[in-house]
Amino acid sequence: MTMTAGSGDPLVTAAVVGGGPSVQIRDLTVAYRIAGRDMAAVAGIDLELPPGSITGLVGESGSGKSTLALALLGAVQKPGRITTGSIEIDGVGDVVTLAPKAVRKARGAQIGYVFQAAQNSLNPLKTVGRQLLDLAKSHDVDDKQSLVRQAKSLLERMGLDAGRMLDAYQHELSGGMRQRVGIMFALVLNAHLLVLDEPTTALDMISQANILSIIRDVSTDRALTTLVVTHDIGVVAEVSERIAVMYGGRLVEQGPTTQVLRDPKHPYTRGLIRAIPRLHGDPALAQALPGRPPTLGTTPETGCVFRERCDVFARLQLPACVETDPRPTPIDGDRLVSCHAVASEHQQADREARA
Amino acid sequence: MIEGSGIEKSFRSRGGVLGARRVQALRGVDFAIPKGGAVSFIGESGCGKTTLGRILAGLETFDAGRLVVDGEDLSALKPKRREPVFRRIQLIHQDPYSALNPTATVEMTLRDPLSLRARQTDRPHSWVSSRATEVLEMVGLDPGYVLPRYPHQLSGGMRQRVVIARALTVDPEALVADEAVSMIDVSLRLGILDLLRRLRSELGVSILFITHDVATARYVGADGELYVIYRGQIIEHGATDKVIANPVHPYTQCLLSAIPVMHGLEEPGVDRLEPTEPLSELQAEGGCLFASRCPFVAERCRAERPQLMPVGDSGHEHACFFPEVRRVVATPIG
Repeated sequence: MTMTAGSGDPLVTAAVVGGGPSVQIRDLTVAYRIAGRDMAAVAGIDLELPPGSITGLVGESGSGKSTLALALLGAVQKPGRITTGSIEIDGVGDVVTLAPKAVRKARGAQIGYVFQAAQNSLNPLKTVGRQLLDLAKSHDVDDKQSLVRQAKSLLERMGLDAGRMLDAYQHELSGGMRQRVGIMFALVLNAHLLVLDEPTTALDMISQANILSIIRDVSTDRALTTLVVTHDIGVVAEVSERIAVMYGGRLVEQGPTTQVLRDPKHPYTRGLIRAIPRLHGDPALAQALPGRPPTLGTTPETGCVFRERCDVFARLQLPACVETDPRPTPIDGDRLVSCHAVASEHQQADREARA
Repeated sequence: MIEGSGIEKSFRSRGGVLGARRVQALRGVDFAIPKGGAVSFIGESGCGKTTLGRILAGLETFDAGRLVVDGEDLSALKPKRREPVFRRIQLIHQDPYSALNPTATVEMTLRDPLSLRARQTDRPHSWVSSRATEVLEMVGLDPGYVLPRYPHQLSGGMRQRVVIARALTVDPEALVADEAVSMIDVSLRLGILDLLRRLRSELGVSILFITHDVATARYVGADGELYVIYRGQIIEHGATDKVIANPVHPYTQCLLSAIPVMHGLEEPGVDRLEPTEPLSELQAEGGCLFASRCPFVAERCRAERPQLMPVGDSGHEHACFFPEVRRVVATPIG
């Protein structure tokens, strides 16, 4: 990898060597203080992003997936704050305890972020090129020429006419083009951790397919550690090696994508996959998940957050589901599932295997 | 029965260096929606599918062609006579929040159209509130809970159901659902799609489903018809399941190839294409409209524009000089 614009910064060089950093999130809780009460938007999250991998974080609105992504950037806004836990990023440190200035430096230089609806993150009054120079200024990049070169090569890599793009205003670009420009901005300072929030929402199917293949390609080319945050399990299925499913602020299931899709363990994951209409088979096989996702105010304070919509709880009525929040149980190697029923089934199978 | 033939519509595009130019949004579109049937229009944004939905709902005029509803040619009617016909075709669009008045409770939202309906049909005023309860129950909402509430107090899925309930107050003949679930949470989408299916079978309401997501179109009307539209021209049409299983037009194949494959559950179709989106706005007008993006383009395609022609006698039609079935849809594993 050639040294690029951002590499004059001492903070950057540490992480550049050897590609994407590993990320360890431990027992992370982010609470919003509303009307004198702390309400947890995400609670007790354990998540590891292996270096150089693509992880898909799936959840519905209000599941806490965007809050988790913001925490990773050290960008949780008041009235929200991180109440417990740590986010250790290789070469950066623990984002939770790092000084705000250091976190700000790491953003852009080491952590690239592509916002949901890229059109809203571009300045409508300035050309893309102008905004690139602003970025150079805010990150103290002296070698502007090499920054522009890097930007052009990224844009061309994504199939765009780079010269035209830099001269364009955001309203002159299609949704797919804006999303590519967003990815360029996230990577132009040579970040090796890439976070994309709903990168394909509001795009057409064909644009979506193109953006997904770009995400796959740049992640491989640059050995990035990538987190794709989305509500669409299809997006994750197409692009990521690992999947993490969020519900009501909890990570309910995680593991290798193909394994989770083939054999989902958590009742929510099962229901979510079943609720997606497919192009083959009997359409009636798709089934709606009853109930609706909880919001900050309606998340149950004790017990499993999913139990109201859970078919297993409806059948078994396990007392544990009402009493305690299930912790992640490791199963089948590197899969984690937070469900009392799955855990007890697993223990039983374990006992039988030993007997 | 709603029938359109030869519907044309063009818009003047704004700005541009060379001044305004005309953009052809619909190019001689023919379609038929049988009573209680389901018809889906799929295509990318800008292909004209939304314009078509708006024309059907009476929100947009058209330049040429005929629109016939239950044997009545709407283009021949005076605006005053046309209005009640259009009222029976209701549009459900993407964003249920902007479709509802934020300062009105659900009760207020339903009361106006129902009072009008009561007057038109000589029903007593008490009918209004009992009918409001009825339509809400029909769309799967608890009337006691939603009636006194404002749109912001409801979830996206509930709001979309309120929009549908309001559409039902006029006893519609057809619902035009334009990307009606794209802003709804994934776990709630199927509930809305189920509702549309139920309205078809229980009330005989026809559904015109406009979307870029073929799988949801199939869910609402696997037994219906699918029209694939590209830059205002219908380029493939047929029974929904037939077109999905045996697409012959390269554009249809590109759309189907773009649908994510659920790795682990499915394998990509053996002929899956890698479609590309247009990254420049210059689009040729001569020849086949899809020629500049077509992976299989030949000389003839740039010279001449193909018109819809039948494949066999099953009603499957396409507009391609070199039709060929390709297996682009993912297949289930095991």
